[in-house]
Amino acid sequence: MTHPDTGLRADPGSFRDPTNRVFHRDGEVLRGLDDRATADWRALAGSGFFRALLTEGKVCGTEEVAATPPWSATLRHERIPFVSHPYEWSFGMLRDAALLHLDVLRAALDGGFTTKDGSAYNLQWRGAAPVFIDVGSFEPLREGEPWAGYRQFCQTLLYPLLLQAHLGVDFQPWLRARVDGIEPDQMRRFFGGARRLLPGVLTHVHLHGAMQRRNSRATTTDVRAQLRDAGYSRELAAATVRGIEKLVRRLDRPPGGSHWSDYQRTCGYSAQDRLAKERFVEEAVAGVDTPALALDLGANDGRYARIAARHAGYVVAVEQEPAVVDALYRALRAEGQRRILPLVMDLADPSPGGGWRGVERAGFADRTRADVVLALAVVHHLAIGRNVPLAAVVDQLANLGAPGAALVVEFVHPEDPMARRLLANKPDGLFPDYRRDAFERLLAARCRIIRRAELPSGTRTLYQAVVGG
Amino acid sequence: MHLAYLDAGSGSLIVQAVVGGVAGAAVAAKLYWRRLVARFRRQPTDQR
Repeated sequence: MTHPDTGLRADPGSFRDPTNRVFHRDGEVLRGLDDRATADWRALAGSGFFRALLTEGKVCGTEEVAATPPWSATLRHERIPFVSHPYEWSFGMLRDAALLHLDVLRAALDGGFTTKDGSAYNLQWRGAAPVFIDVGSFEPLREGEPWAGYRQFCQTLLYPLLLQAHLGVDFQPWLRARVDGIEPDQMRRFFGGARRLLPGVLTHVHLHGAMQRRNSRATTTDVRAQLRDAGYSRELAAATVRGIEKLVRRLDRPPGGSHWSDYQRTCGYSAQDRLAKERFVEEAVAGVDTPALALDLGANDGRYARIAARHAGYVVAVEQEPAVVDALYRALRAEGQRRILPLVMDLADPSPGGGWRGVERAGFADRTRADVVLALAVVHHLAIGRNVPLAAVVDQLANLGAPGAALVVEFVHPEDPMARRLLANKPDGLFPDYRRDAFERLLAARCRIIRRAELPSGTRTLYQAVVGG
Repeated sequence: MHLAYLDAGSGSLIVQAVVGGVAGAAVAAKLYWRRLVARFRRQPTDQR
């Protein structure tokens, strides 16, 4: 909520560490620091390791600006083009995010600092490159203390990776359902018998859980003192981080594709259809005056996201299948792509708001006001495959765009082989309104249609429309 | 005592020593040994 006098809007996801808070003002991302956090920041700003992390782009751009009362100091951060949540990332994304967190922590330890926490929410993306955003997390290292963020790192990063790498279980639903991640006690139930011997399981899952149970009545103050007395050192803390890093590097997604991985090859497009479609999309996006954000819904291998990226500032490529997103992410990462963000999300079940009061982690619709919305070969999957009323599909597509946004949407006629295959799984006559004329009428009610093109196959129509126009 | 805003978890702190290789395991062993010794030292006074 924006404060009426100051124009400040507190970030609803920033409250857990009371020493510093993120807020927004006139489109800027600011962080207020109390006295203690200010002292930590001044030490951090003067340290060589932090400057190196900034230069390498591993930590989000940060500078001190005039203090905003009541804070002792205020920082201005680089804007992340599109905020995403770990349950919208693919395996490779979560792994690279985890590795960056460990990399940042290792650099901090070498420089006499540590991070107060170890959450997956400390990371965001610039396209296919992760970035550490929680500058408030750095604090000077106290000799003899282990990493306070280890448990959080396990619950929100390591355990989801272990689930996927060792068992092939998609981690996204777990992270989406639990803002604090997966507890050791839940994890150990997955890893009984010989699975205890899988890399990382015995120590980080079973021993961790057992230690938690055995020490549930010991305070962390006492345990910290005991560890210090027993000789826990900075070198040991660094060795622990190296050990976790080695483990994370070993984890990989088990092979096993989904039928969507082959979609571009098997979906029945002719080469002419594809060319016509590419041309239509290119012209539509190029015609928009400097679009900041383009959304590619059902992005698959990212063909159209890449076309959009030639003209738009940033592209969010949404795809339902984690394996497909992972393949896309790895390709984009290899290309050094910084302007296309691939995300895992089912359009019929988009990310809801999560965490405290359901606003700590904003839902997808609340984060998205795109200047261009691409919905290619998507409508029939929602309307026939998922039984969403056609009018509701059109509404949702229009709602994701800002007023005046360009909507490029493909309508697959009921006679098209793909639509027929979907319809064959449903009772005859279930979708009498799934017709081109009905779709066009609904689209015209929400948008101004400015262009349409039949694909050469004759069973698909492309529309370009202006949202609310 | 300077405490982090996050409850690091007592067990989560100790297990990190074990993860840190042989030297770390030695630290964990020392911690448990000291706890054991402390318990025996305390007992006679408790019984009085």
